[in-house]
Amino acid sequence: MIGSRREILTRKFLLWIALLLGACFAGLPVLWMVASSFKSNLEIFAYPPALIDHSFSFAAYEAVLSDPGQLRFFFNSYLVAIMVTICTVITSILAGYSLSRYDFPFKKALSLVIIGVQSVPPITLMIPYFGLIVWLRIYNTYTALVLTYMVFTLSYAIIMMTGYFNTLPRDLDEAVMIDGGGSFVTLWRILVPISLPGIVAVGVYTFMLAWNEFLFALTLTRTNDMRTVPIGIHLLMGQHSFEWNQMLALSVLGSLPVLILFLLFQRYFIAGMSAGSIKG
Amino acid sequence: MDSASQSQVADPTNIAWEQRKRRLLPYAYLSPTLILLAALTVVPIATVFLYSLVDNVIVNPNPPVFVGLENYEEVLTHRKFRGALSNTMYFSLVSVAAHFVIGLSFALLLNSRLLGANVKAVFRVIYILPWVFTASIIAILWRLLMNPHGVINFVLLELGLVEELQEFLSDRRLALNAVTFINIWSGYPFYLVSFLAGLQGIPDDLYEAGRVDGGNAWQLFLNITLPQLKPIIISLALLDFIWTIHQFTLIWMTTGGGPMRSTEVLSTYTYKAAFSSHEYSIASTIAMVILVMCTFVAVFYVRSQRMVDE
Amino acid sequence: MKKLVGLLIIALLLVPGVSMAQDVVLEFQQWWEPELPEGSFRAILDDFEAANPGIRVETISGPYLTTKDQIIASAATGTMADVVGLDGAWVNVLWKQGALHSLSQAMEDAMYDDSELAAQIQLAGETYMIPIANFIYPVFVNLDMLAAAGIDPPSTRAEFSAAAVALTDPDNNVYGWAQPLSLEQPNGIQNDTMSWVWASGGSMLDDMGQPNLVDNELLASTMAYIKSLHDAGVVAPGAFAMKENEKVEEFVNERVAMIINTLAHFTLIRERNPDLNFDITALPAAEGYDGPRGLPYASWGIGISSNTEHKAEAWKLIDYLTSVEGNTKLTSIANAFPGNVNATPDFIQTDPLFITAFEIFQEGFLANEFTGLPAAEELMRQFDEPFQFYLEGEMELEEFLEIAQEEWEDIFS
Repeated sequence: MIGSRREILTRKFLLWIALLLGACFAGLPVLWMVASSFKSNLEIFAYPPALIDHSFSFAAYEAVLSDPGQLRFFFNSYLVAIMVTICTVITSILAGYSLSRYDFPFKKALSLVIIGVQSVPPITLMIPYFGLIVWLRIYNTYTALVLTYMVFTLSYAIIMMTGYFNTLPRDLDEAVMIDGGGSFVTLWRILVPISLPGIVAVGVYTFMLAWNEFLFALTLTRTNDMRTVPIGIHLLMGQHSFEWNQMLALSVLGSLPVLILFLLFQRYFIAGMSAGSIKG
Repeated sequence: MDSASQSQVADPTNIAWEQRKRRLLPYAYLSPTLILLAALTVVPIATVFLYSLVDNVIVNPNPPVFVGLENYEEVLTHRKFRGALSNTMYFSLVSVAAHFVIGLSFALLLNSRLLGANVKAVFRVIYILPWVFTASIIAILWRLLMNPHGVINFVLLELGLVEELQEFLSDRRLALNAVTFINIWSGYPFYLVSFLAGLQGIPDDLYEAGRVDGGNAWQLFLNITLPQLKPIIISLALLDFIWTIHQFTLIWMTTGGGPMRSTEVLSTYTYKAAFSSHEYSIASTIAMVILVMCTFVAVFYVRSQRMVDE
Repeated sequence: MKKLVGLLIIALLLVPGVSMAQDVVLEFQQWWEPELPEGSFRAILDDFEAANPGIRVETISGPYLTTKDQIIASAATGTMADVVGLDGAWVNVLWKQGALHSLSQAMEDAMYDDSELAAQIQLAGETYMIPIANFIYPVFVNLDMLAAAGIDPPSTRAEFSAAAVALTDPDNNVYGWAQPLSLEQPNGIQNDTMSWVWASGGSMLDDMGQPNLVDNELLASTMAYIKSLHDAGVVAPGAFAMKENEKVEEFVNERVAMIINTLAHFTLIRERNPDLNFDITALPAAEGYDGPRGLPYASWGIGISSNTEHKAEAWKLIDYLTSVEGNTKLTSIANAFPGNVNATPDFIQTDPLFITAFEIFQEGFLANEFTGLPAAEELMRQFDEPFQFYLEGEMELEEFLEIAQEEWEDIFS
């Protein structure tokens, strides 16, 4: 790097300003959500507004955490989101490998189908899809939710994995092939390890979608023991009673584990990790 | 192909078998995906297509009547449809463009060599915050923030940036931009995460070579980063475009398509047709029109994929 | 001893097993359970089960806003619950779908005497929904704000607009009235708009029950009156996107002095702001009108699925919830007026505000012309859209009503 010390300092300064501006854009609305979840329902609508006021209390959190029904929603959300993530990641790695490394008849048509299935607005699909799930006898089960979310997430996951594999040079797997490794070996031993950033990105996306989906979670379940957090949030927004602070507390609580998960996985984004192995 | 199979390579029948296996292999890798999609999407999509060709479905005592393309004529010539279409285009194109710019800028910031690992870790988490909330709660949050007596108005008034309270979601001049802004806020982290992953895949030696050639940061970005990310950018933009067209909860729960249809998009229009007027045939027809639109974009994507391969 | 214990355990395991095998399980889909105090709705159903051995009720509870969509989808796929909670705005579409069993038939089969029922919602001459809890919409007034301005609760439109003007103080973010006109939840057209017409003895329908928006003098003058309130700047900002719940929050935060609102929010308002000094009064009538005032209301109605295999048991549940005992219990916890004329929920005797409400109720009559109309919610929405253009001054009164009339006729045909 050429550049004087002063130049680097100015750059660092500008970088920090940009970083902080970005953090305000992303974080301030969320900060307001967290602050509001500690307010009383009266003060949430108070004007002039205050970040923290005299009504500060943990009441909303206590109400949510002391309700076994709400905890069950959390459990269901985790179970479904984790299963969807695992299944989608594996399926999409296989499909992405096929689309990235092979040429075969109908390849383009199949790519079109994979994108095409999610071009129909989900709202219009709801009734016929619901009928299908009932016919398959998986109505009100985790299986229905997991399979449904896989249908939603697979398109992106496959496109993302294909795109990621496409950025990796072909000589890499060809070398393994020449050494006598089969295609499956090439995939798992070579491509998957250096594709971890892409795989984590797909996993994070899949998890978020499964965690946050509302419409199908509501339609495909009927009892509260199968329902997920977004439905719990809607149940707090009734015809005659609406508990803003509990709604916000529930979503803050719901987001915490997701953020922790993200913190754990983000080491895969650390620069240079995969770049080094590609060169090798 | 372990060592045992290698030793039999000379056998001609085995070679034929190996060749067939090689031809079938890509389909085998795709089979879990294809089976799932075929099992769960063919029937519902075909049903929606069928609905679009008949009248009197679901909520109607009369038996269905085949009407051919009449529903399509009715939908495509309706002035409300055209209004919804142009709002959708504005909403989607602005969202996709802003998602791309914000997502890439944040990814580049977080990828800078001038920052320590812990700083990056903290900001990465802050930057994906909008992503961890379900759409309904985002709608509720922004309704609170954008309320005429909400905190945004308070801050703008205190800073003297506006003279009077702004009705962000109930003023027809502001509403479409307001919901687009909310959608931008809630959607960019998806790009950010994808770009963070994509940036790791760019080999360092490309940049080193670029620097040796005397390129400055901007030139490196234009000549190396962007072309290297191109496959990911195209995929993201395509999918985001499709998703934004389908974005329903956010718009529905913030404005319901109002005021005065100023935020009416195809998804809210479809929902009203299906669950408010109970015209499922019309709703299915709009769905098919959206499907055709998205397929055009998808064809473009598939073409661009070929170019990447070559 | 060990043997005995073993036998006992087996017996204990068997007993519920045997009785469960014989029980009829009724699924009851509604949005009421999450609205009511925790466990209180279940308690009523437990009482029903105790009185009707062999029937068990399983509740399927969902959020109010999506209940209609869910019932339509479940009816279309043959998975509808045996007994469903109904809103007057949906009953028509479910009936059209063939999803509802005729309650007239059920009553006949059970040889039921319907003289105690306050109302029945009929379509094509047969009952499909029975309102079991009714929530009336009087005007809530903030007494402290009225006292500070030195005015009495208004009784006529002129008094109302004079009060609204006197109470409005934009510099302090205080307004006389709030009108929620969100297109997502367009029930503001029913409760906060058309109610003005009904309160003066008017109607939005003609004698044949068809839309009558054009050349309807009272309706036109009412809309012009509402526009005059908007033009005078006495309506809280954000009306075009406001929802009912936000209207209530504006009122409890004392930024709006008067709202038309459901009695069901009574407890909520008191809990939110215990210091709020408020009263209720009848909806103001047009000058010179002294007939009985139509009182907007919303109901929790109940109906039976046409697919159920347990029609007799389903009727027993409805019979219980509409009986003096069951209806008293339900309306007591819901702060609702009963669907059984002889039921008397506790609060009617004890709470002075409810005594006032009851007087308003007795002097007027329940009026909600949207109940049972086809696609009632869409009617409200199609009225709301041109109404917003009119309020904004981008459409003339006649044009707005003609457009609305056209859209409504489209839905009716």
